[in-house]
Formats: sequence, C-alpha cells, structure tokens
Amino acid sequence: MQKLWTTFVKDARLSYQGIYFYMEIGMAIMFVLVMLFAVPENFDRTQTFYALVEIEALKGELSELVVDGGDYQVELVDSRPALEQALAANRSAAGIHVRLEGQRPVLDLVLQGHESESMKALLRSTFEGAMASQLPGYVNRTTVVSLESTPARLSDRVNILPIYLVINVAFMGLFIIAAYVFLDKEEGVIKAFAVAPVQVWHYLVSKIMIMALMAVVVSTIVVISLVGFRINYPLLILVILTFNVFGSVLGLLITSFFDSMTKAMGALFFTIFVLMFGGFSYFMPWFSPAWIRLLPSYPMIFSFRELLLEQGDVAYVLRNVGLFMALSLLLFIYTNYRFKKTLTV
Amino acid sequence: MIKVQGLYHSYTHTDVYAVKNVSFEIAPGEIFGFLGPSGAGKSTTQGVMTGLLPLQQGAVQVAGYDMRLRQRELFNKIGVSFEQSNVYSKLTALENLEFYGKLFDVPTLDPMSLLHLVGLNEVARNKAGTFSKGMKHRLTFVRSMLNNPAIWFLDEPTTGLDPAISRKIIEIVKGKNAEGTTVFLTTHNMQVADELCDRIAFIIDGEIKLIDSPRNLKLQFGEKIVVVDHRVDDTTKREQFSLVKPDDMARLQTLLQTGKIEMMHTKEATLEEIFIQVTGRGLL
Repeated sequence: MQKLWTTFVKDARLSYQGIYFYMEIGMAIMFVLVMLFAVPENFDRTQTFYALVEIEALKGELSELVVDGGDYQVELVDSRPALEQALAANRSAAGIHVRLEGQRPVLDLVLQGHESESMKALLRSTFEGAMASQLPGYVNRTTVVSLESTPARLSDRVNILPIYLVINVAFMGLFIIAAYVFLDKEEGVIKAFAVAPVQVWHYLVSKIMIMALMAVVVSTIVVISLVGFRINYPLLILVILTFNVFGSVLGLLITSFFDSMTKAMGALFFTIFVLMFGGFSYFMPWFSPAWIRLLPSYPMIFSFRELLLEQGDVAYVLRNVGLFMALSLLLFIYTNYRFKKTLTV
Repeated sequence: MIKVQGLYHSYTHTDVYAVKNVSFEIAPGEIFGFLGPSGAGKSTTQGVMTGLLPLQQGAVQVAGYDMRLRQRELFNKIGVSFEQSNVYSKLTALENLEFYGKLFDVPTLDPMSLLHLVGLNEVARNKAGTFSKGMKHRLTFVRSMLNNPAIWFLDEPTTGLDPAISRKIIEIVKGKNAEGTTVFLTTHNMQVADELCDRIAFIIDGEIKLIDSPRNLKLQFGEKIVVVDHRVDDTTKREQFSLVKPDDMARLQTLLQTGKIEMMHTKEATLEEIFIQVTGRGLL
C-alpha cells in the first residue's frame, strides 16, 4: 500500500501542476455562475391565449382558466385582425375564436403552425370543456391519478444538475484519465515505471484515485452552491466515487487498446456519444426504451435525481451503487489484465 | 547472470521477426556489449530481457528469474537506463529520484549523492522540464543506479553527451563493474564498447553474427603489420612491415639495429572495421 500511496502522491502533484485540474475547476465555477445568475430557479411556462369571444356568456368562463390552471393566461381581443396581430407578436401564444353559427357556438383554434397534433387536441379539449361547463346539469367527474411514486419535482435549475454531474463525474473522467495515461506514454515515464518493482494495478488505481478526488471536490462545490446542505452528502459522495470509478475504469479499458490519444479519440467520443442517450430519457420520460435503460448513464442520472429530491428513493440509489461497484470490479480485473499485456508495448 | 536461448520476437505476431534465434550468456561481473545499427534488434532483445516486451518464443533468464513469468521482484535487482530520457518534467530532479527510490523493496542510494555524481547537484531542485537533453540523459542514467543493481542495462549511455561527461559516465560504469555489477551495454559507439566491454556481440537484421572479446576480435581480424617511422638522411620515412613475411621481418630487424626508428606501432583493426568486415554493413 505504501507504493500505491507514493504513486498517488506523485500523480496528485503532477495533476495540480497540469491543465486538466484547473479546467475542471474552471468549468465548475462557470457552470455555477451560469446556473445562479443566468438560469432562473424555474422557467416561466405560462401559456398565453388570445381569445376573440363573440358569445358574451363564455367570456367570464374563459377568463377563469387563468385562475384555475395557473399556467394559462387568456387575453381577450376584440377583432379577428387584432387576434392575428397579437399572435404574430407573440410566437409562443395560441388563439381562439368563439362565434355563433346560427344558434350553435363554434370554436376556431388559431395556431402558429408549429404546434403538434397532441397539442392541438389538448387545446381543443380544454376549450370545448370550458364551453361544455356552461351547459345545464354539467358536472366535472375527472380525477387525476399519478403512477410515479415520488411525484415531487426538482426546480428547473436543479433539474439540470443530474446531467451535469454524470458528465462531470463519469464522462469527463473517462476522457481525462485516458489523457493522463497517454501523457505518461508520450513522456516515456511509463517505461521507467514498468521496470520498477511495482504492480500494474498500483499505476491504474493511483490514476483512478486522482480522478475520484477531482470528481468529489468539483461536484461537491457545484452541488453545495446550487442545492445547499439539504441533501444527504455522505451518500452523494459515495455515489460520486462509485460512478467516477466506473467511468475511469471504462476509460482505462478503452485506453488499453490504443497507443496514442489520437488513435483512441474515436472510441472515446463514440462511448461518450452513446452514453449521452441516457439524458434523452431524463428530459423526455416518455422515451425510455429498454436499450437506453440498459446504458450505464441512465441509472446514473436517475440516481443523482433521487439524491437531489427531498424524498428521494435511497434504496434505488444504493442498488445502483452496489451494481456499479460490482461492474467496476469486474471491468477493473479485465483492464488490469489488458494493461499487463500492453503497458509498454 | 543472464541466459538467453533461442529468442524470437515479432511485433506483428507473424513470421516477420525483429530478433531471430538469439542466444548468449553473460557471466556475473561481465560487461557485455550489444552492438549493431539502428533497427538491428538491440532494443527488442533488451526489451524482452527487462520485461518491457513479452517473451514470445525462446527462454530468457535474468538474475535467476524466468522472464516468461515476469516477476516484479526482479526489478529490485536490475537497473535500466533508457536511450530516450524519460523523467517527469514537472517534478524536480530530486523529486524524480525520490519518487522512484520509494518504489524499491531494497535499500537505495542517496538521491543527492547520485545527482552529485553526474554534476546535477546544483540543479537538484529545478524541474526536469527545464533541463537540456544531456542533463535529462544524466538524470535518467543515475535513476537506474538507485537500487544499486546487480545487473545494469545501459542503452546508449553516452549518446548526446559532451566528451567530459561521457568520460565521467564511462568511469562510473567501470567503477560499478569493479564492485561486481554485471552490465549489458547496448550501443553503436565502438570506442565506448571497446573500452568497456569484456565481450561484445554483433547483431544485424535480428541475428547475432559474432560474439567474442574485443581483443580476440582484433587479433582475429586485425592485420599483422607494424608501422615504423624512421630517419633516412634528414627526413622521416614511414614504412609498413608484415610480421608474417620473412623479407619484411628481416628488413625490420635491420632497421631496429640501426637505431634510427622514431615511432613504431602495430596496426590493429578497429571494432568498426571488424563490424563492417563481418556484417558487410556500417553501424549507422
């Protein structure tokens, strides 16, 4: 263990004199500044509707939508040209025109053109419902049931954090550890290390420890800055360490197949590109096919999300920690075997 | 101390070999020179002997360790000085030596004394990245001495060094050898090989062409000729006399009796001439 410690101290000394450490810190500070000063706690999602209502009795009902939904705002206009002018000025708004055809009320949706079919159907139902509620004997029997066990949601600002943490903790580690190894190869110091009475795993674990230290420092700074002290930090550090070790071992394994950064670049980019798909399901929960859920990035992102939620699912997080620890160990055994064969070849 | 038997190595894992059927033995305390031009197979052979390259075919034993098993303990007994300097440029000279010193399981030499030995004591606390090529080379050289190795692998130890420093390095190697260190010297510098080596091997195209001591090689390949500068009237005349032809021997004897000889020396072949004679190729 003394040799591992010696190697780690040397690597730490080299790291803090190198560019990557400061790049990580710089990127973290930039991220925190952007999140705190450029990104609001929650984005304004209020949907504006311009309504031209020619039936006097419905005017009040439509205006109440603002109060009930909270996310709607209806502004009444007095003519069709005024409606179209308002829509042209606000491209995220939609318009309705309620008129009488004989004795029957008719609803025209006036849209921008970029709305999806589902959005059109939703708008039609909303306003038809509003008009139906004016019929005698109408009773609203609709109930809402949510299947998600923890319906709590993160603020928009914190919601980006799981993606940042996975990129910073796992993906960047994968890339930087490869850079460190190739730098050693380029300087030739790897050969000098190879003719010293140390084990290959000393070399690999030392690099992994450096990456883990950097990930814990940088990620903790970011999380404290954006979330404060309300979350379980010991668990957060455990998760960061576990996921970072996995990313580093994956990076080392890829590195073992190449002899220069230039040659390894393609494989590293491809791996990061594939892992990014986990983020799609995070931002679009309705799109989570099995192949995306099998990617390591998927449980990583959702573990961070659970950690950041006030009532997060700790059991889910711990299950993933165990899973990644086991995966990392298996991967490391193979990586160590690969490096023994290829360290100086 | 070192035993290499039927060594083959291919970088492409095909029947294109960088070294072919290389065999030799090195006795304890011997300085063995491995001579050949670039690409001849010197570094490949040393790479296998130092564990930097895997042993594919053949048998290699270094200090009693079978290189097929690649046991790490071996590295407590050997030292390797590389042709290309390979030190941590962001660490100081002293930090470089201190780091490697802590990796050994055997007592190591004092880093400052080693730096002093090669004239780097004044810059011990300067980062190696600021060093000239020669200074880095000296640092790489003394790093290989840290564990006071029983077997010392030296790859072009004087390349790129000025004559004074080269002389210093040669004296250090002689000194360690006098203490009992076995030396495996890879070089294309024939003067260094001639001065240091007990035996030398010529390697070309991955094959050893010849192994012998420099003295035996000179006796075997050198011409048996004496060159004599002598006075004739008021001028100096240079003549060559064969030591095997009776006429020449008689004339030389006559000349010796006249007492007019100013200078006289045998004409030995240099190792470089012998190398060309044996392999049909130059060293560069």
